[in-house]
Amino acid sequence: MSLMTLKRFKNELIVLMALLFALYAFSYKLSAKNFVSDKKNIIQSSIREITRVSELKKLWANKKTSKQAKIFKTIVSSNKIESFKKTSEKVTVSYSNLTINELNKITKKFMNTPFQITKLKIDERGKEKYSMELTCKW
Amino acid sequence: MENVDTNQNIDIILTPQFYTFIKEELGVKFTYQAKQIAPSLFDDYLDTKQTYQYHVYKCNDKWCFFAYNIDEVTLFLEKKGLKIEQIGKIFFAQDMDSYLEKAIDLGHDSVLQSLDGTVTLLPKRLMSSDYIYNEIDLNKISLQNGIAISSSYDSFIPLKQTILITSLLAILGGIFIVEGNRVKSSIANEKEKLDILVSKNSRLSSNRVRKSILGTYEPIDKRERLKRDTIEEVSKLMTKNISLKNITVDDSKIVVTLKAKNASAIKPLIKKAKAKMFKVKKEANNQIKMEKSI
Repeated sequence: MSLMTLKRFKNELIVLMALLFALYAFSYKLSAKNFVSDKKNIIQSSIREITRVSELKKLWANKKTSKQAKIFKTIVSSNKIESFKKTSEKVTVSYSNLTINELNKITKKFMNTPFQITKLKIDERGKEKYSMELTCKW
Repeated sequence: MENVDTNQNIDIILTPQFYTFIKEELGVKFTYQAKQIAPSLFDDYLDTKQTYQYHVYKCNDKWCFFAYNIDEVTLFLEKKGLKIEQIGKIFFAQDMDSYLEKAIDLGHDSVLQSLDGTVTLLPKRLMSSDYIYNEIDLNKISLQNGIAISSSYDSFIPLKQTILITSLLAILGGIFIVEGNRVKSSIANEKEKLDILVSKNSRLSSNRVRKSILGTYEPIDKRERLKRDTIEEVSKLMTKNISLKNITVDDSKIVVTLKAKNASAIKPLIKKAKAKMFKVKKEANNQIKMEKSI
């Protein structure tokens, strides 16, 4: 294309350049929007996952849970505890002659502590007297 | 005019046979205003079948208007061996008015002279044989009102509209870029929050590690919550007429036996238990057995 032709169509060229600039800017805006949309989803998903992992680990992999298992040995009078065995990973306890109140007290304790209840067996042994076998791990 | 053989760029001075000239006193201030009314000034002088270009400049207190056909000019120049690309500026002989009080010899049969302020092409035979022609060194005279050949052609888009459209498009483009940058920076807060979380526990920066941990603890969380919710539901079923006979919970199911003091309490109990999604089985002695899978 000769210089003269360029000069002749300079107005059209200027408009064309401006149009190309506007189109480029528009595509930049669109790509920024898509980029942000994708990136935002990834970041938010990562934040959700990290928060959830932290929550779950705090709940189900908490080293302090082990200490709370000792309460099963003292929560009722010792004559009602038939057996109590605690290791680093789990506790197995067996009660007998529990009243309704004692049963509720023990139940409330393991329900509100992040133990994994692997076995729970409650049987009525007489009028408002219960036996309980409980195995929890953490 | 003889043929020209050169590769150099040259400027052209058009003699009057290539243009029509009018000098007018007008009440306009700017050249673009004068140029707008130029076509109407030449209405009675030009061939309506041809297309003309117009050039205007101020000469003293008047306006000098020129109408010319650029195709006619370029055709002539090409015939004389000049390429259009070689042509720099085009001047009108009228611009040399002050130098042409005495005629100059243009060759075999014509001379150029200013008559009453208008540069005119005259046949040589009108001049006396002893007339002493003026000689002009073109390098020494100053011509002010040339035009580039490219500007003689009319653009499809006039200058005013070009400026308007270009400005609008540039503003629009600017807005798009600013908006794009604003959108890009809008995730800065989220990114900062993520960086803080990752800095506290660098192991969790890996998506695979996170998925693995979630894969371990999510089922435990779901299962343990279900166990607790179910035990909670069972406790809500018990009233002074309904007591617990036994309950067994393990990782796969919960089995509960409830007993009612009287038979009339059984039916609403079964209804409530079914509403809580238990599988219910009626047993002897006003007892029901309920079961739910974990």
